Amino acid sequence: METQDKLMADVTLEQARHLIKCLEEGRVSDAREAIDSLSQIREASLFVEVGKLTRQLHEALSNFQLDNKIAGLAAQDIPDAKQRLNYVIETTENAANKTMDSVEECLPISQNIQTTANDLLEDWERLYRRELKPGEFRKLAGRVETFLKSVSSDSTQLNGLLTDVLMAQDYQDLTGQVIRKVITLVQEVEENLVELVKMFGRVDEYNKAQQQTKKVTGVEGPVVDKNREDVLTNQDDVDDLLSSLGF
Amino acid sequence: MKILIVDDFSTMRRIVKNLLRDLGFTNTAEADDGQTALPMLQSGDFDFLVTDWNMPGMQGIDLLKNVRADPNLKDLPVLMVTAEAKREQIVEAAQAGVNGYIVKPFTAGTLKEKIDKIFERIDGQ
Repeated sequence: METQDKLMADVTLEQARHLIKCLEEGRVSDAREAIDSLSQIREASLFVEVGKLTRQLHEALSNFQLDNKIAGLAAQDIPDAKQRLNYVIETTENAANKTMDSVEECLPISQNIQTTANDLLEDWERLYRRELKPGEFRKLAGRVETFLKSVSSDSTQLNGLLTDVLMAQDYQDLTGQVIRKVITLVQEVEENLVELVKMFGRVDEYNKAQQQTKKVTGVEGPVVDKNREDVLTNQDDVDDLLSSLGF
Repeated sequence: MKILIVDDFSTMRRIVKNLLRDLGFTNTAEADDGQTALPMLQSGDFDFLVTDWNMPGMQGIDLLKNVRADPNLKDLPVLMVTAEAKREQIVEAAQAGVNGYIVKPFTAGTLKEKIDKIFERIDGQ
């Protein structure tokens, strides 16, 4: 390309010299001819440029048509992804509630075991200190027997509830699969967007935007980017900041 | 001690409610955003407010500002329990008059510590 440009420059220079010479020697019609041939060169190079642009436009348009995937993404895959993510919200909510149901059922059982055991232990220690009367001992023996029986059945119930808690965690596998699928889709959308950006010749802006740190204002939920400098990562940092503000 | 718990996720309200019960606070009510919470606070006799920040409708920070602007509620202790952890947000909450700030995910120990601290300060006044 460069040699072509140089060649063209040489030719133009030669013609320009020829034009000056004609003018100096007063050969008007020769000079006019020289001017015409100079403008022909300019027109020719303009045609080449227009030709190049036309070819680029043609390629861009045919790429665009090839990529009717974008239409599919917008019409099918994105709504589908929204549905999938809603499924994740529902499933995790159900699992959390199922777990809390079981835990809330477990708590009074274990609390009851604790209180009864503490009561019995107190009387048991009185027995060791020989402070129990014969009638009281018989009663204590009866209470111990009732307690042991109830611990056995309570344990069975606790085992069942803990198994429910265990089974409620099956959402992790299901939601994990769904989220992975959505990640693939997001990747595909990203690739298509980058193609679009390239097609419109905005690669420089894209590269620049990649370098920039994104500034987010307002609420944004949990921040997962651990390198963000405007975000505190734990309670201790929050406490430090608050105490520096006089809290 | 009557406590209002405000969060748009019912599971989080349930967790906070359970933790509060463990700490001996059994009288609690729930709201799912600031818009629902504010009239409840205005008509109820609440002694304490635990609120999330990021909620549809009225957000927690605006609920806090509304509470501080209301002559009947301005002294209500407010504890924020939220995933919002930007430095500028914590400063904003502090300036708006929050009494405690807990970032999610949090532990039962943190909740107890912050509540104890808030009441210590109120009792000390």
